[in-house]
Amino acid sequence: MARFIVIRLLQCVVAFFGILLITFFLLRASGDPSTLLASPNFSLEQVQALKAELGLDKSWGEQLGIYLNSIVHGDFGESLLKKKAVGIMIGDALPNTLKLMVPSFVLAMILSFILGVLAATYRDSWWDNLVKFIAVLGQALPGFWVAIMAVLIFSVKLEWLPVAGMDTPAHYILPMGTLVFFTLPGMMRLVRSTMLDVLDSEYIKMARIKGLPERTVIWKHALRNALISPLTIIGMLLPGTVLGAVITEQIFNWPGMGRLLVEATFARDFPVVQAVTIITAILVLGINLLVDISYAWVDPQIRYQRT
Amino acid sequence: MLNTITTTAKTKKKKQYRGISRATRVMRNLALWIPTVVMAFMIVLAIFSPWIAPHDPTVGKITDRYLPPAFMEGGKTDYLLGTDQLGRDILSRLIYGARISLSVSLLAIAITASIGTVLGIIAGYGGGRTDAIVMRVVDVALSFPGLLLAMLLAVAIGPGFWTVVFALSLLGWAGYARMIRGEAMRLSQSDFVAQARVNGASGWRIMTRHIFPNIINSLIVLMTLQVGMMILAEAALSYLGIGISVPTPSWGSMVSDGRANLDNAWWISAFPGAAIGLVVLSGNFLGDWIRDKLDPRLRQL
Repeated sequence: MARFIVIRLLQCVVAFFGILLITFFLLRASGDPSTLLASPNFSLEQVQALKAELGLDKSWGEQLGIYLNSIVHGDFGESLLKKKAVGIMIGDALPNTLKLMVPSFVLAMILSFILGVLAATYRDSWWDNLVKFIAVLGQALPGFWVAIMAVLIFSVKLEWLPVAGMDTPAHYILPMGTLVFFTLPGMMRLVRSTMLDVLDSEYIKMARIKGLPERTVIWKHALRNALISPLTIIGMLLPGTVLGAVITEQIFNWPGMGRLLVEATFARDFPVVQAVTIITAILVLGINLLVDISYAWVDPQIRYQRT
Repeated sequence: MLNTITTTAKTKKKKQYRGISRATRVMRNLALWIPTVVMAFMIVLAIFSPWIAPHDPTVGKITDRYLPPAFMEGGKTDYLLGTDQLGRDILSRLIYGARISLSVSLLAIAITASIGTVLGIIAGYGGGRTDAIVMRVVDVALSFPGLLLAMLLAVAIGPGFWTVVFALSLLGWAGYARMIRGEAMRLSQSDFVAQARVNGASGWRIMTRHIFPNIINSLIVLMTLQVGMMILAEAALSYLGIGISVPTPSWGSMVSDGRANLDNAWWISAFPGAAIGLVVLSGNFLGDWIRDKLDPRLRQL
């Protein structure tokens, strides 16, 4: 087990540095932000001074060295456009994103378990067909479009819910709904198929033969075993959740990491893009690592297979 | 499972039909034919768009802005699905948009499938250290949010057709590599590969002549299942403004065009999104059908 954790940890570190380097060099290759900041009537000397101030006059190698050093010290530099420390900007944005993402993810998990288990239990009933239909539709319709249509119906036509912002609980309904829509279909489908596999196994037959009530068999014996594989879905769904969060924040003007990233990308504000990418990468890699470790802890087969 | 039953039943004559109602049978056939027709229709639209589209998709008439679809009050029959904020015909833009969606997804699938197949076979057949290295890279690629990479690329090389293709390909190969590697690994344990080796076949020959032909089925299944996902990914990137750049019509950016005009012109966003949904749905249904035909073991995908 210790060996497994060490190896996975090393992989994470390597992956992280890969991401760091790619981010750094891609953004440096993309063009000079000083041309964006300098007004057209700047003289050559003023442009040079601006470059020196931003540290852009040094070689790429030196810039990378300086950057790595400051990251280690927890300093992500200053936003080129807003003249604000990137650390503070992210400190403002990250809680907003989490406030939206964590409840949505939990909600999507709970819903997908209830719906998926019921669908598997009453296989081929109208309920199962409904769940399958939702899953198929959910995987085909673009999330951003569904969100916009929801805004059209509930905010513009019916005027029940606010369009954008995050002041009242009502502001949370549409964004959370959108995020749930991004993750629910895939999760539900997986819960259903895992549950079907479990229900087909010998120990479930045994539990039934023992004469246990069906409710105990399903919610206690079967569900407990079906819970293992959703651990891996969390890892699988993470990239999609990031996409969902960025799109949701963009649509509902939510002041979180996703909107920060999109705005910074268009403005070529690379300290911000870099920092958001790095922090997201740390979160994603970290959660994946935790998932893998807990998975290996639950299931010894993986421990040996992967190392 | 939908269609296998009907088709195998067909060859075994009527008796097999017992137990499956007529309605179910009709539904199963529809589940194949409707998607096929939709996809064929879309391909025709994409290829012949200049001849089919009634208007120029990039040039609008200022006097005809925000016209509702023809079936609504105030709509003109000239613009069947209405016009957008610049007076461009939505129907024509949809028709041209089919081109972008289809070409981006097909190109990205071709690239990712080739890279993934080559790496997967090498890793699966090679085993040992080669396998370990390739699979670690695959793990990273699978867990990395592609959107971040796409945004970085959009900043670095600017948004555009090739940026989208590149962004979708950069991580997309990993899924193929993982599946093909499993298949190749299984096949390299088999007797016919051992016999080929005894006969003195080179590693290259075994990989290209003995392993590759045996994974084509799985490969085709995975490729068809990817069509919908790629179309959705392209649409999402274009929606965020880091995909196909204006004024080229892309379904994703059309949805985003209508975002600001929801209160007075809902049709600008509604139709392109519905088009995406319809095509992706058809693609997924066809993918499922092909999977059941060629390789039912892949049902979990």
